[in-house]
Amino acid sequence: MRRYALLVLIGLVLGGLVHLVSVLALPRLALDDAFARLARLGPANAVQLIPDPTPFAATLPRMDPAFASAACVYDLSAGPLRILVPPTPDYLSVSFYARHGLAYYAINDRASSRRTIELQLMTAAQRAALPEDEEITAADRLIIESPTEEGIVLIRAFVRERGEREAIRARLSEARCGAMG
Amino acid sequence: MRLFVVLFAFLVAAVTGLGLTWFASARGNGFGAVQIGAWIAWPKSGTADADPYARAAFARSGELPLELADGVAFVASADDDGRTLDGRCDIRIRGKLPPARLWTITVYDARGRLIDNAAERYGYTSAEVVWSADGTVEIVLAPRARSGNWLPTEGRERVTAVLRLYEAPVGLGIRAGETEMPMVKVENCP
Repeated sequence: MRRYALLVLIGLVLGGLVHLVSVLALPRLALDDAFARLARLGPANAVQLIPDPTPFAATLPRMDPAFASAACVYDLSAGPLRILVPPTPDYLSVSFYARHGLAYYAINDRASSRRTIELQLMTAAQRAALPEDEEITAADRLIIESPTEEGIVLIRAFVRERGEREAIRARLSEARCGAMG
Repeated sequence: MRLFVVLFAFLVAAVTGLGLTWFASARGNGFGAVQIGAWIAWPKSGTADADPYARAAFARSGELPLELADGVAFVASADDDGRTLDGRCDIRIRGKLPPARLWTITVYDARGRLIDNAAERYGYTSAEVVWSADGTVEIVLAPRARSGNWLPTEGRERVTAVLRLYEAPVGLGIRAGETEMPMVKVENCP
């Protein structure tokens, strides 16, 4: 009997370790995470409109139905990307997520003075490789450093009136996410 | 016999370890939860400082958290007295909302999907809701149509209300006792 109590104790301690390791590993093992779901919409390094959520189908769980959204699943291995998002009539945000869903940056229309949002997305190594003089002018070119080579740019625009939805979606489809130059 | 003994310890380890991970990633979004009345938010989970439990929960559900600079989401799945939000009852949400450029309130079923209804109404935004004269808002989630701000629940057994504040100055400063949130009450159960 005692022997089994000891075994259970050892099992529980090992279980604690299994728990810690599995929590840390879960983001890497999840097969149907946001990246995988958005990657199915179309090729990487291009803006894809996300279908509006309905009770029967939603690209991501718990999307806000009051918004029209688009996403760019990115891969920086071939070089930095330039992101252009035209203004919409109301609240507009551009949020950045690392490969496993970590939110690391966001900007909205007010922060960009309601003009076209223009950003350069690159890894830390690509930024370090920028020529010195370019780094100086970087103040007016907003550079976003991605913690991972792959990730997600999520573009969301508030739809104030139901009738505006199609026009706002058309506007979002004009957003660009592609190689610089 | 010895093999059996070792296997037994490993079995206990696997069941407790993976079981804990399963429950931890299915409920809640990690540490740093802020609860104000019925509403729970995880403001830190929308930042690069999100803890491993928050990351695991989002990876598993496939949800993308709101980046904190974009907004903050408050989730209610029980009322102020801890009663589960039952869509067969009336669920009254009333009070003042924290300052924000705009807010939306959405009703989901237990699996995070919108609830199908003839009116195609899944939520209200600060732009469409009818405000009371004193600057408060009253929204009722109910199975049957009613006057005022009504959100259909189609009698689902469990529903969740999510209040999202966009460009809210509170952000990480959200604190129980300082941030005012509307009350949530389940009533008129059949």
